[in-house]
Amino acid sequence: MTRVVPVPAHLDHLSVDQLAAALGPWPPEERILVDAHATEWSSPAGFVALLTLAQALAEAGAPTPELTLPAIDNVASYWAKVGVIRHAERLFQMHGRIPRRKVEETSDILLPVTIIRNATDVMDVVGGLTEHATQILTHQLELESSVVGGFGQSLSEACQNIVEHAGTAGWVAVHVYVYQRRLGGRKVAVIAVSDAGIGFRRSLEATQGKRYGERWGDAQAIETALIHGASRFRDPGRGQGLSGIKRYLARWDGKISIRSGTARVAIVPPWDDEPPRMEGLPFFPGSQVTIVIPGKEPSA
Amino acid sequence: MSAVIRLDAVLHEAVATPYCDLVTRPAGAAVRNRVLAVLRDTADDAAQLDFSAVGLMDYSCADEVVAKLLVAMLDGVAPRLILRGVRDHHADAINHALARYDLVVVALLVDLPRPSLLGSPPDDWRDAFDALVSLGRAAAGSVADALAWPLPRTTAALEGLARGRCVVAYPDSTFALGAVA
Repeated sequence: MTRVVPVPAHLDHLSVDQLAAALGPWPPEERILVDAHATEWSSPAGFVALLTLAQALAEAGAPTPELTLPAIDNVASYWAKVGVIRHAERLFQMHGRIPRRKVEETSDILLPVTIIRNATDVMDVVGGLTEHATQILTHQLELESSVVGGFGQSLSEACQNIVEHAGTAGWVAVHVYVYQRRLGGRKVAVIAVSDAGIGFRRSLEATQGKRYGERWGDAQAIETALIHGASRFRDPGRGQGLSGIKRYLARWDGKISIRSGTARVAIVPPWDDEPPRMEGLPFFPGSQVTIVIPGKEPSA
Repeated sequence: MSAVIRLDAVLHEAVATPYCDLVTRPAGAAVRNRVLAVLRDTADDAAQLDFSAVGLMDYSCADEVVAKLLVAMLDGVAPRLILRGVRDHHADAINHALARYDLVVVALLVDLPRPSLLGSPPDDWRDAFDALVSLGRAAAGSVADALAWPLPRTTAALEGLARGRCVVAYPDSTFALGAVA
């Protein structure tokens, strides 16, 4: 038997919930067909979530999932350009015409979908953020050099969370968009990181779980890490990554949203309306972190 | 005398990377261990950690390289540590890391002509430090006059700075910035 999991027409960090809902009980007993034929657009969070799903299925011992690529040629071509197809080919049995377009950086792709397995990968991602990416952040988003520095620090810390806590590989991608409705046409840089690891609840359970008793769960675990800076390590210097990101985003009106297991917790700036805490969501494996850094507000 | 330790050079000795960014905990720990080995061998009474050619430094590396290094040097055997060539985003990460340990360090920031304190020192420490930057080597009484503070308050701040190894206390009851000046 095969279970068809339709990918939403617009796949982003919120509509991943629809993908999760279609999975059914985890781990699925049937073979999974991820059907993206009707997908028209995906955010970097959507791309890395798809790869996470396939990796989690492999780690759960499930049959190799299938992936039907978007039917619209230029959408599938874009998937190749952002680098998701080169990774998907290792994880999925692919259906549809596979575009052989080169992965490239453009004015909207600061970092193509990139695998994070260890600290060396993190160093390569941060060090490899090219002059091109810095130029986009400086000129298109009009971020000052100190803000660009904080962007790199946030990217590094988000990727390190995979290495430190997930216990398996993950992916990162960074794109630039125009937020028309929410920010009146301002550009934003979006960092999306996802892994198929043990998730926040299991990572923190041994050190934090007893403190919260029956309230302990996915949402509490994310809040404990994100809001209270808790870490599974007893070293007082640990837990700096998320708290540093949070401080940076507070200063520049940015947003962070973390989904893990059945919950999503976000620190929401005034320009956005995402609920700050969602529980009881359909289960999705691992952890997904989305960071949004707005460009400079145009002067009146 | 003050030894200068170029962190970009130490990074390349410690980690096989073509980049000059101080990122990730393993890289930071490797750099710290190399720096500690150098500091324990030096006869100098102060050492300057040079960030001039360091690209990015993340929060984890600020903890591993700077905060944990200062913790390891609290025994007072190693030389005083001063940071130089520090840019805004380095300072931000270092401030964040040091605050967790209530540590303070003297730094020369690229964009500031005067030495600064990084970390979260008490306000009195900051004011006394700034006064000493202006005055040069001075007794507590002179600093108290400059700040219009009572002498005990000034002495407490200067002695705190000396305990934190941010200034040097001399046997003649004067205080100075030492190698930074």
